[in-house]
Amino acid sequence: MIVLDRVSFSYGARRVLRDVSVSIGFGERVVILGGSGEGKTTILRLILGLLSPDAGRILIEGEDITGKGDGALRDVRMKFSIVFQEGALFDSLDVKENVAYCLREYTSMSDEEIEARVREILASVGVEQAIHLMPEELSGGMHRRVSIARALALSTPKMFLYDEPTTGLDPVNADNICRLIADLSKDGKGFIMVTHKVSDALKVADRYIFLKDGALLFDGTGRELLHSDIPGIRVFVAEVCPPGPDCAEEQGGKHV
Amino acid sequence: MEIKRLLSDLQDFYALSWRGLAGIVRRPFYYKDALIQMDYAGAGSLLIVVIVDLFVGMALSLQLSAELSNLGMKMYIGMIVGISVVRELGPVVTALVFTGRVGAGMASELGTMVLGHQVDTIRVFGFDPVKKLVTPRVVSSLIMLPALTIIGVAVSLLGGYYINVFVSHQSGTFYWSSIRNILTTENVLAGAIKPFVFGYLIAVICCYTGLSTRGGAVGLRQSTTMAVVLSIVMIIISDFLLTRVLLYVLGFSV
Ligand SMILES: Nc1ncnc2c1ncn2[C@@H]1O[C@H](COP(=O)(O)OP(=O)(O)OP(=O)(O)O)[C@@H](O)[C@H]1O
Ligand SMILES: [Mg+2]
Repeated sequence: MIVLDRVSFSYGARRVLRDVSVSIGFGERVVILGGSGEGKTTILRLILGLLSPDAGRILIEGEDITGKGDGALRDVRMKFSIVFQEGALFDSLDVKENVAYCLREYTSMSDEEIEARVREILASVGVEQAIHLMPEELSGGMHRRVSIARALALSTPKMFLYDEPTTGLDPVNADNICRLIADLSKDGKGFIMVTHKVSDALKVADRYIFLKDGALLFDGTGRELLHSDIPGIRVFVAEVCPPGPDCAEEQGGKHV
Repeated sequence: MEIKRLLSDLQDFYALSWRGLAGIVRRPFYYKDALIQMDYAGAGSLLIVVIVDLFVGMALSLQLSAELSNLGMKMYIGMIVGISVVRELGPVVTALVFTGRVGAGMASELGTMVLGHQVDTIRVFGFDPVKKLVTPRVVSSLIMLPALTIIGVAVSLLGGYYINVFVSHQSGTFYWSSIRNILTTENVLAGAIKPFVFGYLIAVICCYTGLSTRGGAVGLRQSTTMAVVLSIVMIIISDFLLTRVLLYVLGFSV
């Protein structure tokens, strides 16, 4: 269980989150929606202990992580795997070594086994041909997919965090990534996905959280999201579900 | 407000310096990272250290020869070159070269990693960035700067020899025997402690400034400049303090 207990956070004078309380189970499939700069990435960073809240507590499986150092947070962080919005590949290592980074440290696999595993994961995100390229030689979408592959390399995390995994991808690849995310969550591993694209979100998640002005504007199922008449949310939903009687039933019905 | 920030920066710096060093004896160890750093810092700096120290040795010998020949004391060149190179110039010059080549590299590499969220990725993967990034660099500087200093001193003495024999026309055998005479335990110790201190200072200063990089390309420029400037100033100041202490401890009268 991930619990944010009345968490406030600001960057200097800029308040990003105000008294946010939410709890998310490790098996849940959650999407965080919200406009640009509303603090979605900030929430993920808080959960991982990369940032410390100004007020409030963050509990991961009952353990209070607020204000702890990197050494103490190690076990907590190993429960997660994150795909950063920027990809954040190690730019001095090639694609293969990027994906193999954790395998080398945390498993005793031989070089051949690692290579085989890396190829397998890269194939699942459709970039196996890039295995020997350096990060600077990748296109934006390939970069994103390699960083997803890297996050998937270890099978130990209990929960995946995706920060806009489909932004900047063509529809076919975005669809593949969504399917991959859905597949990975089949064996009880949950995820938190941050995105602007309601259409992608609806394909994968059960629970939707909408952030606005540093607070949770909405927290509920896909059907509720589509039926919501909160103006801020309607704008987001209009993309998949223009105002009209049937659309919400049809879209939300698939998943609820 | 400024003072408060300065104090908290200093506190962070001391914490990093201590944890970077303590990482040497605390699990987990990242041997491979240390080896890569040692290759970069040591093997990669060898040529430039050799060139710089060679010319420093030659220039010093030449200057002394010009001055001492007026006094008819050219036979002392070997002794003076030996003492100044072993106790002072060798360690300091090598450390300055090391700062420019390796320290600046550390700061800009770590700074780029911070800006590209690579350091965050390392943290999320469960590594302690101090252990994974700082300790290997501290280890490599602690081993490689002393090693380079030994080579640098030897090359400086060779440079001195060359000038002494082929330009000032003195006896080479006498030069080496006066060098041998000044290689006493006290003289060697007075020089040998320094590169360890300098290496440690360079590594922690450059890692700290690199890891505290904020604000894009300009921030990177500032932190790299800061790393080099701070390292140079600290090397020169600590060299003076060390000289003072070592001369006292080793029983030289000044
Ligand atoms: N390092 C930082 N320093 C100062 N302010 C920051 C920093 N990072 C983010 N912010 C500010 O915090 C706010 C929230 O940022 P955050 O990255 O969480 O937004 P987001 O919801 O992920 O946006 P996007 O959808 O564009 O990625 C933004 O207004 C941003 O200006
Ligand atoms: Mg974001």
